[in-house]
Amino acid sequence: MAVTPTAALVQTLNGIQFGFILFMIASGLTVILGILDVLNLAHGELFSLGAYTAIGVFGFIIGIIGPPGDGVVGTAVFILAVLAAVLVTAAILLPVGTLFEAVFLRQIYDRDQVYQLVLTFTLLLILLDVKKFIWGDSSIRTDAVYSAINAIPTSELVGLNYPTYNVFVILVGSAVVAGLFWFFERTKTGRIIRATAIDREMATAIGVSTDRVFTLVFALGAFLAGFAGAMAVPPTSATLEMGTNPLVLSFVVIVIGGLGSLRGAFVGALLVGVIRSWMITLYPPGEIAAPFAIMALILLVKPEGLFGTWGETA
Amino acid sequence: MPERVDRDGTPAYRFLGVEVTRREAAFLVLGVVFLFVIPDIASLSDSLQLSVIHQGLLFGFVAVGLNLLLRHTKLTSFGHAAFFGTGAYATAVLARYAGVQSVGLLLLGAIAAATVMAAIIGVLSLRHTGLYFALLTLAFGQLLYAIALGQSALGGSDGLPIRPGPANQPLLFGTAFSPDVYQVLTYYLTVVVILIGLFVMYRITQSPFRNALDAIGQERTRARFIGLPVRRYVWAAFVISGIYGGVAGGLYAVVRQYVRPEGTLFFLRSGDILFMAILGGFRTLVGPLIGGVVLVFLQDVGQDITQYYEFLTGVVLLILVYGFPRGIVGSLRSGGIVNARLSELRREPSVLSTWGRTAAQSIERKVTAALTSLRIILFGVD
Repeated sequence: MAVTPTAALVQTLNGIQFGFILFMIASGLTVILGILDVLNLAHGELFSLGAYTAIGVFGFIIGIIGPPGDGVVGTAVFILAVLAAVLVTAAILLPVGTLFEAVFLRQIYDRDQVYQLVLTFTLLLILLDVKKFIWGDSSIRTDAVYSAINAIPTSELVGLNYPTYNVFVILVGSAVVAGLFWFFERTKTGRIIRATAIDREMATAIGVSTDRVFTLVFALGAFLAGFAGAMAVPPTSATLEMGTNPLVLSFVVIVIGGLGSLRGAFVGALLVGVIRSWMITLYPPGEIAAPFAIMALILLVKPEGLFGTWGETA
Repeated sequence: MPERVDRDGTPAYRFLGVEVTRREAAFLVLGVVFLFVIPDIASLSDSLQLSVIHQGLLFGFVAVGLNLLLRHTKLTSFGHAAFFGTGAYATAVLARYAGVQSVGLLLLGAIAAATVMAAIIGVLSLRHTGLYFALLTLAFGQLLYAIALGQSALGGSDGLPIRPGPANQPLLFGTAFSPDVYQVLTYYLTVVVILIGLFVMYRITQSPFRNALDAIGQERTRARFIGLPVRRYVWAAFVISGIYGGVAGGLYAVVRQYVRPEGTLFFLRSGDILFMAILGGFRTLVGPLIGGVVLVFLQDVGQDITQYYEFLTGVVLLILVYGFPRGIVGSLRSGGIVNARLSELRREPSVLSTWGRTAAQSIERKVTAALTSLRIILFGVD
């Protein structure tokens, strides 16, 4: 099948867009893994909880400001409102992560690792049914945000027919990536977190409260997962099992990039996103297997992942 | 014939390498007899279904295999449903495309497929330990799930029936039985397979191989220094544990006569299997089996009372993690924290008020600490 340059470009952009969503999920997971030494199996559920919550928040905020007004100002106000809604959603996830770490996880750090795995799996099961209880069995969706943002012309200006919402996701995703790297490279809190990742005991010795860092990191992970959920939901619908695939793909991303490496998670997420998206046009049955194939290859060639362990550099 | 030996002063018997005291022997006989009379009990009672117990035993058997890794090498596999599913799907494929009718041959096929699968996944994931290993096994398991879901030859999400050729069901001893008899007979087959499997596992835990695995689990580097071929041993343990999964998967397919990706390969299944091991007590031999029966039974009952049975499972797991970390068998054998508290309460009921006071104090302390932490996280130190 011949692939036109336009189609290739569209698929690549789709891949990059998905890669950014994946990065937001995987970055939280990888930072939690690198610092707390806990594999958070409930991370996918936090993502889908974010998606469900976002639908409510979008509805609420659009109910207040109404559809986008005319002209540049109206559009800008609408985009800011959507961003605010995404942030509010992510902020709602903060206490979920904080409470889970501080109340449940903290009690059992000194036990066998399998118990921590069980505990995060427990959270997964509980969140699954909490969602079912609140939002019911059937999938729910919101069209308003997607269609309103798509009405803004962007790619049409360069003669390409590409949904503006995807461009929006890529832009916001880049901002999140930049923000995260800035946070871990430049801020004091970010450096404290990295110091804890490098050497937990030494960090304690210079006066870092690891309890606080752990809570903060878990809350940050939940925040990012909620953010990703809110960004991912407008084009599709929120379903009960939507958390599984991103969770497993994030595992693949983490393995490719290196355990706990933020830079690795970024490269891995874009790689997985783009290759998966190319596969959809080139060889559809390979879509599911392709990320795992890359993972197996990396494991054989460079078992510690592309960027090794996190800490020394972000 | 049993031979009398002496174990720490108590008389014990040794038979086929199994060494038991008189009390343990009584439990053993009781347990085996109980397993064999379950079909009769189930036919008398409405609430107890043979198929539920049967399924619990099969998943418990996978957990017994998983336990070899968990207990000795300290490796947590989160993808054991992969081997269960491989066994089940191998059976289905053999029956459907090769027209194999005999249960024995189908099971052999399941074992072969699971062995190959465990060997491959083992090579790829055993370079790593700890969480990395858990993450890799989960990813590979989910890959198999995706393949089963995506391939139309494997039936996609509808799954595959196991109805070889003209026969309506696989043949036992070359004979076709009526469905009722078939169900009971396959149950007895399962019990026999499980007893053999437990025996083999017991012999493994009495062997130098187990000691080597223990050493590897405690400290890998040291184990390598004293000359143990660490990677080969761990790989062997992984394959053995995968074979247990394959056998159970094959039996599951033969019994249910239908395989679906959700029931066999989905990662929630892997989670279930891991928790069966912990629920029953992963430091014991039969614990995982009992955990399997209990968990499947609870989920079955839970499905009847509420649609939120995942929540119910979650709550059971929470109680388990905080109250009985050693699992059912482990807690029965040596009293856990709860047992100690209970006996204290029986001796002196007034201890309750002291507990209440300490609990209130510790909650108050924790809330204060949490508020301080929150303040510091939000506003910094000063």
